[in-house]
Amino acid sequence: MSFRLPDGAGLFRLSALKPSPAGAFPFGLGREGVHEVAAAGPGDMTAALGFALAGLAQARPASLIWVTERTRAHDHGPVREDVAAAFLRPRPIILHVGVRRTIDVLWTVEEALRADGVSLVLAELAEADFTATRRLTLAARKHGRPAVLLMDQRREGATAAEARWRVKALPSAPNQYDPQAPGRPRWEAVLERARSAPGDVGRVFALEYDDETLSLDLVPGLAAGPAAPRPAASVPEREAG
Amino acid sequence: MKRFLSIWFPDWPLDRLRRARRQASPSAKPAETRRPFVLVEPGPKGLLVAASNASARAQGIGAGLRFTDARARLPELAHEEIDREADRAALDRLADWTIRWTPLTALDGEDGLMLETTGCDHLHGGERGMLDRLGAVFGRMGLTHRMGLAATPGAASALARAAPGTILDTGAERAGLAELLTTALRLSGEAETLLRRFGLTRIGQLYGIERTALARRFRSEEAADAVLLRLDQALGHRSEPPDWIRPVPDHVARLPCPEPLGSTEGVEEGLARLLADLCTQLAGQGLGARSFVYHAFRTDGTVSSVGISAARPVRDPAHLARLFRDRLERIDPGFGIDLLMLEAHRTGPMSDSTAALSTELVGGEVDEGALARLADRITAKFREGVVTVRHPVASHLPERSERSAPFDGAMPVPGAGPTGPRPLRMFAHPEPVQVLAEVPEGPPIRFVWRKRPRRVVRADGPERIAPEWWRALTPPPGEATPDGAGRKWLAPKLDPRADAEFIAKVHEKLTALDPGRAPQPRARDYYRVEDEDGRRYWVYRDGLYDDGRGGPPEWFVHGLFA
Repeated sequence: MSFRLPDGAGLFRLSALKPSPAGAFPFGLGREGVHEVAAAGPGDMTAALGFALAGLAQARPASLIWVTERTRAHDHGPVREDVAAAFLRPRPIILHVGVRRTIDVLWTVEEALRADGVSLVLAELAEADFTATRRLTLAARKHGRPAVLLMDQRREGATAAEARWRVKALPSAPNQYDPQAPGRPRWEAVLERARSAPGDVGRVFALEYDDETLSLDLVPGLAAGPAAPRPAASVPEREAG
Repeated sequence: MKRFLSIWFPDWPLDRLRRARRQASPSAKPAETRRPFVLVEPGPKGLLVAASNASARAQGIGAGLRFTDARARLPELAHEEIDREADRAALDRLADWTIRWTPLTALDGEDGLMLETTGCDHLHGGERGMLDRLGAVFGRMGLTHRMGLAATPGAASALARAAPGTILDTGAERAGLAELLTTALRLSGEAETLLRRFGLTRIGQLYGIERTALARRFRSEEAADAVLLRLDQALGHRSEPPDWIRPVPDHVARLPCPEPLGSTEGVEEGLARLLADLCTQLAGQGLGARSFVYHAFRTDGTVSSVGISAARPVRDPAHLARLFRDRLERIDPGFGIDLLMLEAHRTGPMSDSTAALSTELVGGEVDEGALARLADRITAKFREGVVTVRHPVASHLPERSERSAPFDGAMPVPGAGPTGPRPLRMFAHPEPVQVLAEVPEGPPIRFVWRKRPRRVVRADGPERIAPEWWRALTPPPGEATPDGAGRKWLAPKLDPRADAEFIAKVHEKLTALDPGRAPQPRARDYYRVEDEDGRRYWVYRDGLYDDGRGGPPEWFVHGLFA
């Protein structure tokens, strides 16, 4: 893995700016407490999931309990584990739990937060009211395990979670090898709620995901058009076959 | 040498009906049993008598008689339709209950049970004591019963039918059965008639007859073979393993209750004691078990059971009690429980590894035992198969390269990873879309997915994925259904081969309706496309133009990229 200095394309690394992980982006996502990641529109569920996985990659979970409400897996399609695990290094042990009702998802998340051997709980569910998130927050705080709740665009209202993100897909970065092809994924994440950083509520993060370094970079000045394509780095020669 | 106990209920349908009526309305006055009463079932030529009570039998009305003839003899004959299903279910329940006497119980025909009592009789006061106790219990239940105990199932059932209450010592079958009627040998009616016609009414008369001689008399080798097979089975020359209804548990703990239990607290307390007992047994051998069944035997001859299963062999009483906790409410004490039993199945060696104190101290070490226990708790709450892991599969087809399997305690091993750009979410069934694309091999320009038109801004592809041609070969017709397999012998629910012919017919019809429908799979061209909102899809064209495999290709969305 070669370290590339950010060039003049206006990209800079957040982690280089702020050494302390908590209190800055991603505000403890996947490290502590319960975080909600909601989609902005009906087609943004995958973007929300990608953002969540990319955001918690820094936490390096060793084992992951992935709880899914079955109807949602049916609507958005089941997750490909090999693709999802590529967001996380080292690769965690993933156990999937598929249940039918929202209340069952909440029960499973709480049970998993209590269990030893679990480093992170990720749940895809339709609904969680204030009471439910409060319960999960207490459980997460008591046992020191983080949880990420993925919800769709209908999620509104109060929450007891540490933070709520609203994610939507952005046109991808220019592809340095093929101008016609989609490049690196970009998302727009709005911080709707944050307990630890009330001053940052409402901030809009335009992010680009680098699947080689597994880092989320901030893309400034998107309003001024997409960033210029970067010159190609040294491309390793591909083996024949 | 093994010991078998055969229990025969001569009046099973009538007894079953009487018990069911009594349980439905306990306060009702018991019906007069002395009135002639029969159960009827439809036969090929009108109603037939299937079972009759004693007073009807005294009038010469037995099973097999036409109901009209019986009516003619006894105008006041009461009758009801026989319910074979309910009889069978009740016999199943009774067989479940006999597990309290021995773990090996089997159904014996429509109206009997076969128990292997090897090594179990000393728990119930020897063989004679066991017979007496069982007889007392069946008597209390109001079941007419006949029992026989011998060293082979055949001999035991012959005794039950011809000399009830007899216990034959091992090796004494030849002498013991000699005086019994041949009708006790479980033969068909035709064979019995033939034997009677030759004057062979006692089993002992068959001992000296050669097989060839018997076949010559019967003029049919099958009939002679059937008689001799039954004879050999009864005498122990040929083995006859009964079809036990349940697997034998590896370890059992029993707790008889001196007073019948009627409360859930008692059931919980009993479970705690049994768990301690059983886990001590298991620990003594260094074993754990993956499945536990808790039986509560009720005084009315029924049993109510709950089971749990674990992903890995376990023997921790606290953990097991927690798994059982939500299920215990399903145990219905009924009129009282007089025996509790806990069985351990699927035992295996347990690895007693010490877990790390915390995951912080050991980087990347996961306490797998704790994860397995969590999976057990989730499974106990919902059902089997809720917790799954994904296993990589060596297949280049994207939908086949990952397989979901129930978690069985083995942690998943990561595979090599995707071979190309693969979407984060992939639909189980690709969704058809209407696409505007360049012909023959261009990427989509617009497409309508889930009723919304989307304009493609960027596209990447194609990535051509060829079908796995070796899967599309149709098996030769002889292989789909083995000889004799079909709806007649195989249960379609359990064995897909039973419906192979039916499926083939439907297939033929469909092909006749739509000749363009090609059975062969087609190559797919996958494109990574992005619409103006930045949403990224994985769409493919199923087939190529002019590939000679059906009509024009169709487009599908197969997955969504992050």
